[in-house]
Amino acid sequence: MLMSEPATIPDANAPASQLEGDLVRRARHGDLKAYDELVKRYQERIYATIYHMTSNHEDANDLAQDSFIKAFSALKSFKGGSSFYTWLYRIAVNKTINFLKQRKNKHHLSLNDIDFNAEHDPDLVALISDKTPQRDAGLSELQKKLNEALLKLSEPHRMVVVLHDVQGVSHEEIAEIVGCNIGTVRSRLFYARQQLQGFLAEYIKS
Amino acid sequence: MNESNQNFDELKRLLKLKRHEIPPPGYFNQFSGEVMSRIRAGEEGGASTIADQFSSQAPWLMSLLRIFETRPGVIGGLATSLCLVLLIGVVMADRPDTEPTGTVAAAEPAPAPAPEVAAVVPSVAQAPDNSGIAVSTNPVISLQPVATLFSQQQNPLFQAASFAPAGR
Repeated sequence: MLMSEPATIPDANAPASQLEGDLVRRARHGDLKAYDELVKRYQERIYATIYHMTSNHEDANDLAQDSFIKAFSALKSFKGGSSFYTWLYRIAVNKTINFLKQRKNKHHLSLNDIDFNAEHDPDLVALISDKTPQRDAGLSELQKKLNEALLKLSEPHRMVVVLHDVQGVSHEEIAEIVGCNIGTVRSRLFYARQQLQGFLAEYIKS
Repeated sequence: MNESNQNFDELKRLLKLKRHEIPPPGYFNQFSGEVMSRIRAGEEGGASTIADQFSSQAPWLMSLLRIFETRPGVIGGLATSLCLVLLIGVVMADRPDTEPTGTVAAAEPAPAPAPEVAAVVPSVAQAPDNSGIAVSTNPVISLQPVATLFSQQQNPLFQAASFAPAGR
């Protein structure tokens, strides 16, 4: 199972969305079972976003839990102007960015294991066997270098890369989550990719 | 531009590795349970939320605290000056209270005192019923109506002194 499937906001007319609206209403009235359902629905994506931003499992765990708790306590202020998913994402993103700003540049890697499927992913196999100048680089080393390179980006640039290139969130959704316009999202993404490319030049065939 | 996009494709391929990073097995089975137990324990009103409220409602206070954290000399100086202010306050409080009498007299005009009393001690305000009890903020002054030194009235406490030299 991939940790972060490409995320899309559910169709407003879909039954799942109606169910979500019902869950949100019930949770707002203090129904913990309904909120438990919402947590289960989004826990993987929220955790993944925070984990990819921090490169630290323990921090991601704490921040993800805090985000869900904060969202529950703030549910009464949720007006429904955006989807619950976007609203929840915004809380998680703000919490993570505040955390990273407080921590400044003191990064401590605590990386999760790579799942078995990675070794059979044709893109990754090709990357480490055929095209990478350092052909003996294993996936673990590549993982470490990749995370270190991501941590060199500023938080807003890292957030855009994580949301779009890792989690598959669209530009429009990122703009809504981060609170900027689509042009800013695109320019940040371009700049972040350029920087990453520089940091990872020895692993990318140019 | 095309070459740049091609390079980004390579980068995107590399970034796919991030999707294969997974937390320990069974992690998500426990996650929601932990969140719900923290919510039941009422953590939304806990310390972290108070900190959040402070940072949102009084950001100046948080930045002040951050300054204190980073510059211990600032908090030392502030503590010293606070101690000085406190010390000065204590010293001033122990001093004889002279100014407030005038202040009270000026602020609250007293009923007209007896003329002879007013002549000697203007700040003494006698009680309106003339019962001999005078209200004053100055405890040193006698409460009895005082006759002038050269008046003809006999004061039982007053004895005329004799200046006649001995032997005459």
